[in-house]
Amino acid sequence: MFSYNLKYELKLLWRSRWIQLLGVLLLVLIGFAVYNGQVKTDQWENSIQTAQQTLKASDAAMVKVLDSVEQGLEVSLAPWLVPTSPMAVGNVHPRVVAKDAQPLSYIATGQSDLFTPYVSPKATGDDFAIEFTEMTSPVQLLFGNFDLAFVIIYLLPLLIIAFSYHVLSAEKERGSLRILMAQPISIRQWVFQKLTLRFLVLSVLVIVAFVAVALGFGLDVWANAPSFFILIALVLTYMLFWFALVFLVNLWVGQSARNAISLLGLWIFFVLLVPSILNQIGSVLYPMPSRTQMIGQMRSLKAEATEKQDEILDNFLRDHPEYAVNDSTQKRNFYHRYVASQQLIRSELEPVVNRYTEQLQKQQDLLGNFKWLSPAIVVQQALNRLAGNSTADFLNYKFQVMGFSETWRNHLMPLLYNNQDFSQEDVPKLPVFQYQPLSSSATSALLVLLGLVVLLFGLGFGFTKRIWAS
Amino acid sequence: MILSTFKKENQGFMRSGRIRIALLTVLLLIAVAFWISSKHYEATNRMYDSAKTSERANWDGQGEKNPHSAAHYGTYAFKPKYPLSLIDQGVDKYVGSSIFLEAHARHEAQFSEAADQTGLARFGNLSPDFILLFIMPLLIILLGYNSFTKEHEMGTITLLRSEGASFYKLALGKWLSLFFPILVITSLLFLGAGLVLSQLPDYGVFQWSALGDLYGVYLVYYIIFTNLVLFISAKSKRSGVSLVLSLSLWILSCLALPKAASNVAGHLHPYPTRQEFAAEVLKDKENGLDGHNPWNKKAQTLQAEVLAEYGVDSLHQLPFNFDAYRMQKSEEHEAEIYYKHYDKLKEQYRKQAEVYDGLAMVSPYLATRFLSMSLAHTDYATHWGFADAAEQYRVATQAFLNGNFAENSKYGEWGYRADADFWKELPPFEYDPPELSTIVSQNQRKLWVMALWCIGSFALLLFTTKKL
Repeated sequence: MFSYNLKYELKLLWRSRWIQLLGVLLLVLIGFAVYNGQVKTDQWENSIQTAQQTLKASDAAMVKVLDSVEQGLEVSLAPWLVPTSPMAVGNVHPRVVAKDAQPLSYIATGQSDLFTPYVSPKATGDDFAIEFTEMTSPVQLLFGNFDLAFVIIYLLPLLIIAFSYHVLSAEKERGSLRILMAQPISIRQWVFQKLTLRFLVLSVLVIVAFVAVALGFGLDVWANAPSFFILIALVLTYMLFWFALVFLVNLWVGQSARNAISLLGLWIFFVLLVPSILNQIGSVLYPMPSRTQMIGQMRSLKAEATEKQDEILDNFLRDHPEYAVNDSTQKRNFYHRYVASQQLIRSELEPVVNRYTEQLQKQQDLLGNFKWLSPAIVVQQALNRLAGNSTADFLNYKFQVMGFSETWRNHLMPLLYNNQDFSQEDVPKLPVFQYQPLSSSATSALLVLLGLVVLLFGLGFGFTKRIWAS
Repeated sequence: MILSTFKKENQGFMRSGRIRIALLTVLLLIAVAFWISSKHYEATNRMYDSAKTSERANWDGQGEKNPHSAAHYGTYAFKPKYPLSLIDQGVDKYVGSSIFLEAHARHEAQFSEAADQTGLARFGNLSPDFILLFIMPLLIILLGYNSFTKEHEMGTITLLRSEGASFYKLALGKWLSLFFPILVITSLLFLGAGLVLSQLPDYGVFQWSALGDLYGVYLVYYIIFTNLVLFISAKSKRSGVSLVLSLSLWILSCLALPKAASNVAGHLHPYPTRQEFAAEVLKDKENGLDGHNPWNKKAQTLQAEVLAEYGVDSLHQLPFNFDAYRMQKSEEHEAEIYYKHYDKLKEQYRKQAEVYDGLAMVSPYLATRFLSMSLAHTDYATHWGFADAAEQYRVATQAFLNGNFAENSKYGEWGYRADADFWKELPPFEYDPPELSTIVSQNQRKLWVMALWCIGSFALLLFTTKKL
């Protein structure tokens, strides 16, 4: 009976052109989405590469100038730009601190359209004022991206709904249910088989479409096979969740139109409402402190520090005797005072600035605890992590930037306070930033999704017994 | 006939549990969204007021100081929230709300809300505009997808035919009955918003006329959806098919097209990255007049010109401080460079906007979205206006500071300090968003698109089906 059903159903799907239609639709949607993702990732990588090349050139130029100065030649630069001053190096020749694109970056834009691919923190700059956000048209940000994540999270469930909302009800409405009931198979079993086949068909179509698109765009699938399998596993379990819902609704509801309404209601609930409500709850429970207020605090601290800069410098040198050990001149200029003041402001502002990351982390944790409320959230988070574009990834990057900024400053500070010149030999010793991506794991996401699927099928097989019996 | 159809349909709505639940859910969502939005609004404006006052206090209380030090200490321009942002938040959370104004450099608005939110925020906020733009059309679909198909399915079409009912009259009746509940909800919502806004004292420049226009825009949007849903229902044989078709329309015009439009516009007319932009500006600056660098080529030329003009042979003999004069000239020159580059950026966006306008012919959502943001002062244009005003203020502030420096000191006198009271003379930063009439004339193309959609969809509904 099962094999007969399969054969019959497959033929039917082919002849009614469902398979062809879905195949073309998936190919177009996935193709457009991957193309968009690929373009974004290329831009991201190019931007970093250009910056690295520019830095290389500017370093070479710096070496030339240093060479001239060391030979006692005159250079045509304003005095504060001459790289013998460590602060000139720290501010005019900052390093490129880049968040490298990950192999699967193209699958989900995530937060990457909000932020720049790299920053270049300066030695005397304000760490908390480093501009991480990208210069994008806000309209683009408002509308979001047509990326693979959008196709999977929003559109795929709708395709599933359109494909199978009336598996059972159509039989009822056509009057063929009676014939069916005379067959030696339970209705529930029959619906289950029918949906299983549809799930298999759609899975094959999705995989084929994705592989075709990947080959078409020359993406290296084999090199990232593990991540790619995780992606496919995520998509399939997410599809399974929607098929499970379709199964339940088919058994419980009845009329085709009502089935469709119920399923679409569920779609709106899971994909639109739960995420926005959860987001709202997160920001009510853990509100972000106002940035304008932070500016206020920073400004007052700066004003105070400017007034007391001599005192601050004295205290600073007392706390850091190592900085001035080799200096016999004890000459003090603007930068000595300024760097010390900045250090003080930084340490005083630290709790204020950390609050933003803390609150964001708390919102993220809350989300982690309640994401099972909507599989759309689970999949969005997992895809963003897989792409290396999630909130967690950018938080991680920011921490690393702050760390590097500190390294950069600390590297140059001894030279500054010892009144030592920066020389050619120091150039290769300058610190280099290497981004360490978070390791991503989709196991928990897969488990949550599978749990939901089991629950739904359990409901379908357990509870509908009574409904059909009565 | 029209009236009895209207009565019968509305009774049907009220008796259907499914529709009652849907209506209640929408009302509840609207209430929650409004509450959240007004809390957010109040908090933001409270912060805005306190930040503005404390920043001014910082500025005024600088004490005796060199004007150029004050120029580097700088000041901030803060962007207020406007009353109608209560209804449509527009792009507000994607743009920064404070701009640092200092010597030699134009800064971008900093700290957008979106950058401080989790990835979840990208699903959308539970705000009134989300309900108005996305959920209300869904409600129209829910109420109207089976308007005609049910007559087929229940067999009542034969009864209607036998009564000799004309399609127009039936359609009109159905149209009125579908639009009526939407009209009631929308009117209540806007009336409520208007009352709330006009009651609160701090709600700035609230205008009933702007709210009225916003109301009109949304009504037209709903009329378009009503027409399309009824058209699909009249053309479909089964309710399920009609529902799926109406929904595909919704997904296409509200979700897929705007995203695709954003990608297409971005590909065709990309913005430079922040660093590319900065590098371009720097390149121009290096070729120009450097206010701090007397060895700079352009600075040398300026020096020669000024000496010749005053007929003296040393900068010390000039009646003003040439350092400050040169800085001011450089400031004016650099402001030009910034204008040039920001104009390029604006030009890029103008081209992107053309892509959106073009696609608005396919999606009524796009036209509505843009009109609504403009009317609420939460669109990109208002943000540009604010940023430009802040830049003008920055340039004026530099002139004010350099002027004092030049007049009251001699060449090379970097130790000069202005009086502690001097800072108070700087006028405060003001920005007025565009007037309603300006907004309407700027958005004429979108208004035409909406009108076209409205007329076109009516024609589609009434003239493509002649018989029942």
